[in-house]
Amino acid sequence: MEELLKWKEQMRSTKKNRITDKITQHIFLGTALLSASFIFIVVGIIFVQGIRPFVTDNQGLGSVNLWSFLTGDVWLIGATFASNLYSVGFIIVSTLFIALLSLLVSFPIGVLTALFIAKVAPKPLAKILRTVIETLAAIPSIVYGLFGAGIILQVVYDVSALFGYQSKGGNSIISVVLVLALMTIPTITAISEVAIRSVDKTIEHGSLALGASNTQTNFKVVLASAKSGIFTAAILGIGRTLGEATAVSLVAGGRRAGISFDIFDTTSTLTTIMLEGLKETTGLDYDIRFSVGLVLMAVILLTNLLLNSVKKRVGSVHVR
Amino acid sequence: MSSCLVDGVFNVEGLNLYYGDTHALKNVHLPIGKNQVTALIGPSGCGKSTFLRTLNRMNDLIPSCRVEGSICYRGENIYESHVDVFDLRRKVGMVFQKPNPFPMSIFDNIAYGPRCQGVKDKKVLQEIVKNALIDAALYDEVKDRLKENALSLSGGQQQRLCIARAIAMAPEVILMDEPTSALDPIATAKIEDLIIELKKEYTIVIVTHNMQQALRISDMTAFFLLGELLEFSETEQLFTHPKNPKTEAYVTGRFG
Repeated sequence: MEELLKWKEQMRSTKKNRITDKITQHIFLGTALLSASFIFIVVGIIFVQGIRPFVTDNQGLGSVNLWSFLTGDVWLIGATFASNLYSVGFIIVSTLFIALLSLLVSFPIGVLTALFIAKVAPKPLAKILRTVIETLAAIPSIVYGLFGAGIILQVVYDVSALFGYQSKGGNSIISVVLVLALMTIPTITAISEVAIRSVDKTIEHGSLALGASNTQTNFKVVLASAKSGIFTAAILGIGRTLGEATAVSLVAGGRRAGISFDIFDTTSTLTTIMLEGLKETTGLDYDIRFSVGLVLMAVILLTNLLLNSVKKRVGSVHVR
Repeated sequence: MSSCLVDGVFNVEGLNLYYGDTHALKNVHLPIGKNQVTALIGPSGCGKSTFLRTLNRMNDLIPSCRVEGSICYRGENIYESHVDVFDLRRKVGMVFQKPNPFPMSIFDNIAYGPRCQGVKDKKVLQEIVKNALIDAALYDEVKDRLKENALSLSGGQQQRLCIARAIAMAPEVILMDEPTSALDPIATAKIEDLIIELKKEYTIVIVTHNMQQALRISDMTAFFLLGELLEFSETEQLFTHPKNPKTEAYVTGRFG
């Protein structure tokens, strides 16, 4: 009896809980500050390194003009040419062009696959497919790159030959687009599938009770209800597309001047231009890659802001 | 089926329903009269919602569900294999317990059903939407904001929107599964008035937990208990002179 009373007393007291709350709150704050400060450190270092080509004379090569860096269409690979002519304007354009094209391929395939897994496939098959998709999403990008280099390049080379076009060993925009699409389909599928599966069943039933067919229900009601989540999938897909370097550099071929929208032509992206020869170079040719890194971060940031504002307009549901 | 009687809109004969091994509806016989409000009452889990969902075959969506017996609608057993279930659901509309508008505009919500059947003419759609909203007593409240998202409406308005959505398909029967259980008393009163108004044109079957509601709006009442239809008679009769002592115990509030 005494014992029980003591326990009751203890259960009523909240003092201990309050102390635990305080401590955990401080731990959370600490970890949050730590991870946030990493972002500032990383961005800061890249920023300091990245503005150097524009503010110093680069050991006699002369400073790089910021405007022509951002808008020009020639990238002279530095150490050999020993020049300060670096510009990424055309590379920004081809990076965005490639991201858009690969999303055009991966988005419909990913969303339709997600719809199939979530709504159409029988349960055992859905379970298998879900595992397959999750595994695909976890495969390192270099493996996709190797697949691209080994298979896709050959296929693209043969196909372009059919059109009477001599592509440079298959290294081309289309190869990059295909590799990136293959890489992003699992991401888009997995996230869209969760969004589609979490659509309220009663909404679906509402449509079926009106005599709408399963297909009409899936496309007009289920996808419409999941559009916010599906948009998130597209944003993450584009993020992966813009940020991928290794796999892309295996099939891009490299392009040093001029914009080309010819899908069988070689190309460079902001990531490949940073990666190529990074370990064998010094001076301006090394520093300028940090400048490209800044540009890439800006491009990704702007793209995300843009897509998020579109998402808000398209996907938001004003709930009272 | 030749055994179909024609005295009601629906004639339910010897209906048994199983969820896997659970016997959820036991040998139910029930006629549902035209232009009447039939209320289904009973404690939770008695099978009244399950019964309602057999009438437009929404139970088909539950994989383990098995139905025996017959439900005749327009002289045809709706559980025969050649029956087009989508066609059936167009004639037998349904309103759910929780308002479930689609995440689109008020106009698109109501135009959804007709559009799915291939109605594309804008004028026709506008006419359908307007009439459905008037019939559902919602038109005056929303006529200036048909383009707004339906989820911006209040709960009671959403439920009337769902009724309008069902009406837009010009059904013969409207099934309602506790349509006011998520609403406040004022919104409930509006829906009840609406149901009394709607019965002039439609046959209504309503599941309700609220016995006062059954008394107020229904012509016939069916009392379910543990999957059995214990009593079915005119509402007044069932509430004032129940034949079965269990019915009496339930309607007088001694259990439930």
